[in-house]
Amino acid sequence: MATVTANGAQDSAPSHPDSTGKLEHFRYDDQIVRMFLMATIFWGLVATLVGVVVATLLVAPSLSMGFPEINFARLRPLHTNAAIFAFVGNGIFAAVYYSTQRLCKTRMWSDMLSGLHFWGWQLIIVLAAITLPLGITQSREYAELEWPIDVLIAIVWLFIFGGNFFMTLLKRRERHMYVALWFYIATIVTVAVLHVFNNLAVPAGWLKSYSIYAGVQDAFMQWWYGHNAVAFFLTTPFLGLMYYFLPKAAERPIFSYRLSIIHFWSLVFIYIWAGPHHLHFTALPEWASTLGMLFSIMLWMPSWGGMLNGLLTLRGAWHKVAVDPILKFYVVGITFYGMATFEGPLLSVKAINAFSHYSDWTIAHVHAGALGWNGFMLFGMIYWLAPRIFQTKIWSPRLVGTHFWLGTIAILLYIIPIYAAGFVQGMTWLSLDDTGNLSNPEFIKTVESVIPLWWLRVLGGLLYFSGVVMLAVNVMMTWIGRPDKYEDPVFSAPALLPISDEDEVPAKSDLDDVPVLELGKKLDLFGKMGWHRRWERLPVRFTVLTTLAVVIATLFELIPTFLIRSNVPTIASVKPYTPLELVGRDIYVSEGCYNCHSQMIRPFVAETKRYGEYSKPGEFIYDHPFQWGSRRIGPDLAREGGLRSSFWHWTHFENPAFSTPSSVMPSYEHLLTEDLNFKAIAPHVEVAAYLGAPYSEEELANVESLARRQAEEITADIVQQGGPASVHEKQAIALIAYLQRLGVDAMKTDTPAAAEETAPAAEAPAGEEAAADETPTEDASGNP
Amino acid sequence: MIKDLVASLDYSLCAEIALGLFVATFVVIFYGALRLSSDASERFASIPLSDQVEDPRDE
Repeated sequence: MATVTANGAQDSAPSHPDSTGKLEHFRYDDQIVRMFLMATIFWGLVATLVGVVVATLLVAPSLSMGFPEINFARLRPLHTNAAIFAFVGNGIFAAVYYSTQRLCKTRMWSDMLSGLHFWGWQLIIVLAAITLPLGITQSREYAELEWPIDVLIAIVWLFIFGGNFFMTLLKRRERHMYVALWFYIATIVTVAVLHVFNNLAVPAGWLKSYSIYAGVQDAFMQWWYGHNAVAFFLTTPFLGLMYYFLPKAAERPIFSYRLSIIHFWSLVFIYIWAGPHHLHFTALPEWASTLGMLFSIMLWMPSWGGMLNGLLTLRGAWHKVAVDPILKFYVVGITFYGMATFEGPLLSVKAINAFSHYSDWTIAHVHAGALGWNGFMLFGMIYWLAPRIFQTKIWSPRLVGTHFWLGTIAILLYIIPIYAAGFVQGMTWLSLDDTGNLSNPEFIKTVESVIPLWWLRVLGGLLYFSGVVMLAVNVMMTWIGRPDKYEDPVFSAPALLPISDEDEVPAKSDLDDVPVLELGKKLDLFGKMGWHRRWERLPVRFTVLTTLAVVIATLFELIPTFLIRSNVPTIASVKPYTPLELVGRDIYVSEGCYNCHSQMIRPFVAETKRYGEYSKPGEFIYDHPFQWGSRRIGPDLAREGGLRSSFWHWTHFENPAFSTPSSVMPSYEHLLTEDLNFKAIAPHVEVAAYLGAPYSEEELANVESLARRQAEEITADIVQQGGPASVHEKQAIALIAYLQRLGVDAMKTDTPAAAEETAPAAEAPAGEEAAADETPTEDASGNP
Repeated sequence: MIKDLVASLDYSLCAEIALGLFVATFVVIFYGALRLSSDASERFASIPLSDQVEDPRDE
């Protein structure tokens, strides 16, 4: 390719003018790369700062000073979303826009779409930053944003970003699609599929929706999405980034193009199956969970294929690593990728998962990946890109080195204590004494024992944040030192002509003149990978094949999970939530209680001794969305109904230290003072009915009066227990109604018809039935 | 009807079919990738280093 500077001087002779026709002249759009790069740094600062705040609030909840908007449970999703979609997302886009233009030898197809993509994505981030602290959430991890924002994400991602990217591929001047582009294709397609199908929901207003899936199926969809968001947002685009920027920085070709082919297809094909390993020992069917485990273990191979390809690219260049902090960032980043992708399959093994799940081990694991792999790969890319796109030298190479060492120490200081906390939690939760009873019956003791380790995490987080501040200062000073006007070189390359038959490679077998069977000749031709080389020139076919790999795998799991009734045996006594309980559940979701409390008792002796009868799939058929949680900072609530008095809950919201002096739960005093909007309950109940909850016509017509009646009954209980009067309109009453209902239905026995007439189920005080009989009603198939 | 149809299938086969699909695909791609010519492999691996148009038809 020829390069012509802005003043028209041609740097070198054009290449291949005969093979592809007339030379075309073009410029790359580096302005969009600069914008995404700056956004990456800005959101990196925000994400890590919020991370430090969240980690601090966990150990010192009183720092929220009674403001619910800055409670741990509301800010934690903000931190994860900021880290994943704002920091990493913008970093991915910077990488894609820079490398795609160069790999395709063309400017992006539409500058307008590039701009719309940038501002649309920033708008989404700002909307997330506003809505999540306000408690507007779907409560599904990494998919918390409510439906209008989800629609915006789909438009910006698929039609604006995806459209611009794929049109650029179609208009490229490079026949061959380099491996980095394959990973970008897989990213765009799969994230779109995941986002759309996971977020199918029925709106109950502009700021509230109910997932169309319930319970087990919702959990399956959520972790199909959640796991693959890690795969196709935090892994595949970074592998694309690695395949482009590592050779650039090391000035070495990638170690093995062959290995890249094998590990690309293996990764794309296997990753999508592995989601169910997040749901071991839950109410998910055993076959799905086992399938998830097997494919997770298989995933170790392609993941390490990528890691080895990256590290071995530095073969012969290790002397450069010793002096170049950019390469150091890449080496540590790829090493953390290797560690995280070794640990992931390990954690998917059921025996290990039984110990690690719900504990801080998972938190340490994801932070090894996020801080080490994603963070360091982005830092390496930013330090490499900044002087090139700002057309000046980096302000302080020494500060780059300092950032590297500070960041490395910070990661270790973060993850080592959290791994230790995970081990402590796993052991203390599950251990039994010689008599077969719980060694640590009080849950709070397990929290107290890890608090010093959580303080160390704050320190590690602070150091990591300091490193990002160094990056921001360094890049800002580099930007200040930019030339008055950027040079905007004009490049020249021949247009890409349509593929003709002669272009199909290879067309001839080495065995053509050898007396062997035709089959042998065909095999020889097949082995020359001509078919794959053709795919690499055909973006539409390549995209279709990648999509098929992902969709077929999904359907193999999804169809049986959704359509086979025995996966979710019904329990006759499980009834829909009353209107007040339903709105109480919405408050539970809004407050982010799932961030600390699970609602899934696993079939382990220790868990059933601590919490009660293990959870059954049929208990969750009215749960839109599911609330099983993914960690335990507080005890499980699946059998909470009827365990404590309503007044206990009231005082617990007011000040958790009343009942548990060393609790790390913040005060929820605002629920005691803020009124519930009874008139707004009806649309929620209507949507629940639309999604299958069997409410009668009468119930649907009298939602408000039913809710008020139940609120008055709970208030009367509270008064009788020594609590305040006239609080039936407060939000806390609805939340208490929900908590008192949890786990109750599955423990009910069928009430005789005569008794039902005198005491309707909706009016019976929640929890009393639970004490009556702990035998769950079984369905006809005999499944509990 | 679809539910009845799927319910009558032995869905435990899904895992085996999935594994079979993967192994078959993997073997094909592995075999092909190993037989890719060294020249092509090296040139494609160097694409990001070069600002020249890389055209496989030159082979």
